[in-house]
Amino acid sequence: MIPVVLPHYLVVSAALFSLGLAGVIIRRNALVIFMSLELMLNAANLALAAFSRYNGSLHGHVLVFFIITVAAAEVAVGLAIIVALFRRRKSVNVDELTSMRL
Amino acid sequence: MHDQLFWFFSIAMLLSGLLVILSRNPVNSAMFLVVAMCFMAGLFVLLEAHFLAIIQILVYAGAVMVLFLFVIMFLDLKAERRRRFRILTFGGGIIVAAAFMVKVHDVVEDMPLVAAKGVAGTTEAVGRLLFTRYLLPFEVASLLLLVAVVGVVLLSKRDLK
Amino acid sequence: MTDFPLAFDAARSYRRVNVSAELSQYIPVGLLILIAIAFAAGMLLASTALGQKGRRPAVKDTPYECGMIPVGDAHMRFPVKFHIVATLFILFDIEVVFLYPWAVVFKPLLKDPQTGMTIFTSMLTFLGILFVGYVYCWKKGALDWAPRRETPQPPA
Repeated sequence: MIPVVLPHYLVVSAALFSLGLAGVIIRRNALVIFMSLELMLNAANLALAAFSRYNGSLHGHVLVFFIITVAAAEVAVGLAIIVALFRRRKSVNVDELTSMRL
Repeated sequence: MHDQLFWFFSIAMLLSGLLVILSRNPVNSAMFLVVAMCFMAGLFVLLEAHFLAIIQILVYAGAVMVLFLFVIMFLDLKAERRRRFRILTFGGGIIVAAAFMVKVHDVVEDMPLVAAKGVAGTTEAVGRLLFTRYLLPFEVASLLLLVAVVGVVLLSKRDLK
Repeated sequence: MTDFPLAFDAARSYRRVNVSAELSQYIPVGLLILIAIAFAAGMLLASTALGQKGRRPAVKDTPYECGMIPVGDAHMRFPVKFHIVATLFILFDIEVVFLYPWAVVFKPLLKDPQTGMTIFTSMLTFLGILFVGYVYCWKKGALDWAPRRETPQPPA
């Protein structure tokens, strides 16, 4: 069995990121696209934590903490936008949302 | 023990991530996302990012996913289940994701292999760094949260009347 | 060559850090998770094993609502009020999360002459900025449950 080192974590992170990327492209529901974005953010967090661990510094951990903060703010505002959009258009399908006006 | 747990956590996390993007029902997607977040917290523990593991559970699995489920309850679910995936977008998504994986493999191939260095990301260690070196970003984070509060209230202004 | 090129060098350069000592702190957490899974699975198994078999008329499959006949299904639309409160909860939840590391390092950093009172004033600024947001959404009525009445009710 190969011992687990940094590239293993990076490959897992990249796989999670591509899952999120594929989800953004494949799905048409704005909510599920948003969830896929969360997957991609988490993949970046995993890569940062792994780099921190194998470089012997904690700066990556602080960065991940800030990313989680930004992600929470982004989810709050993004979901408020989706709710406002749904109340106006009665749909969360991104194919039907073609104009910039609400 | 570390290695077995790594394989278990990462395979389980990737499987639930796959189910997030493949579930027809958004509620199932949200639930699988919670599971993926919990396994991610397990990976953080393996990376000795103890503080991050707790924050991951507390913020992501606890608060963010609750909001997602709230919004799903709020929206109309029934129209969603009947929708089918289109072949073209499905193939496009797979191709882009695969191309990304190939590029990452190129990067990882030449990477020097170093052993893990024993720094533990305890709450104290992370907090010490956060409140000395990263004091300004910390204050900026409060501004960001303020902007988010104002934005949320403005966006749902019509419902408040 | 194997598909993963790091196999050979890794085995040589990898110094095994003693992880099991670190991971052993999480044994209670693992036990809690196992007990939770066992409890949930046990409940489901017990209800299938001990429950009555036999005819199941449609009324038996309706959700139990304190003896009343349920009206509609649970997939109804909720008032948007709940959504605003949940969203604001997340934002202030993050604020509280920042307090955890602060509380842990507060005393040592207060004694440290390099930081001193900065650790206190910085958190005060942080909370002050977010208090502005709190006052804002309070004044806008985002925290009210009932719709705001413009004119006071005349006494009955």
